[in-house]
Amino acid sequence: MPRMDERDFNELVDKYSEQLYWHIRNLVGSHEDTDDIVQDTFIKAWKALPSFRGESSPSTWLWRIATNEALAFLRKQRVRAALRFQSLDDAAERVIDDDPWFNGDEAQRRLAKAIIRLPDKQRVVFCMRYFEEMSYEDISEVTGTSVGALKASFHFASEKIKDLVQLEQD
Amino acid sequence: MRKNNGYNVPDGYFEGLRTKLSSIPAQEKQPTRFQKFAPYLALAACFAIAVLIGNFILNKTTVPSASDDEIIEYLISSDITLAQIEDFLISNQ
Repeated sequence: MPRMDERDFNELVDKYSEQLYWHIRNLVGSHEDTDDIVQDTFIKAWKALPSFRGESSPSTWLWRIATNEALAFLRKQRVRAALRFQSLDDAAERVIDDDPWFNGDEAQRRLAKAIIRLPDKQRVVFCMRYFEEMSYEDISEVTGTSVGALKASFHFASEKIKDLVQLEQD
Repeated sequence: MRKNNGYNVPDGYFEGLRTKLSSIPAQEKQPTRFQKFAPYLALAACFAIAVLIGNFILNKTTVPSASDDEIIEYLISSDITLAQIEDFLISNQ
């Protein structure tokens, strides 16, 4: 495959920036944080462009960078909360309550908070399957996790979300 | 069509985002091979100078204190993990 250049990069921006924004937003919750991570993703993509040889599709490659950036952000967020002796669940819920760009109804708020409280890998597979309606095969290409493990992860994530949403209602 | 999950964005956000992202190639020029190694050489030089000066200064001044927030952000930038924090707290009880 010929090397990708600036024109290819701009095509990726036009074609995928909005979808990629929502992919990241589902994972991290806050609009401001998502805005930062989207930009970091495309900066990384631009720097890695010379070494991209088409082993995967451009979208899979971009989604992989974005997912890793989002996961790195979430890890730092947890460490920050731990160092400040904050409850991780409280810190996670504040992400939704403090975001001026969340105006969902009560059911959507409960779902968003439940997703924020999932372990990282379950959060990734749940959001990609439920919101982005990606196939397990496509998710497997992005995450490097087997389809079987992803199906199990999605099952556990769904059960945990049902429990968390029920807890909020009670 | 995207599932509605309650999340929104400011008006005109995506147009602005595309404009910002399209400026990345101009801002992030591809480094030459020398430019890739230059930071490491500069870091090595700075470290050597810092060791020389630090030895002198440490004996002459008191160490300034950092705020809790500064310490936390420093630890986060060093990629410390939760497991390392737990180990530290347990070993220092």
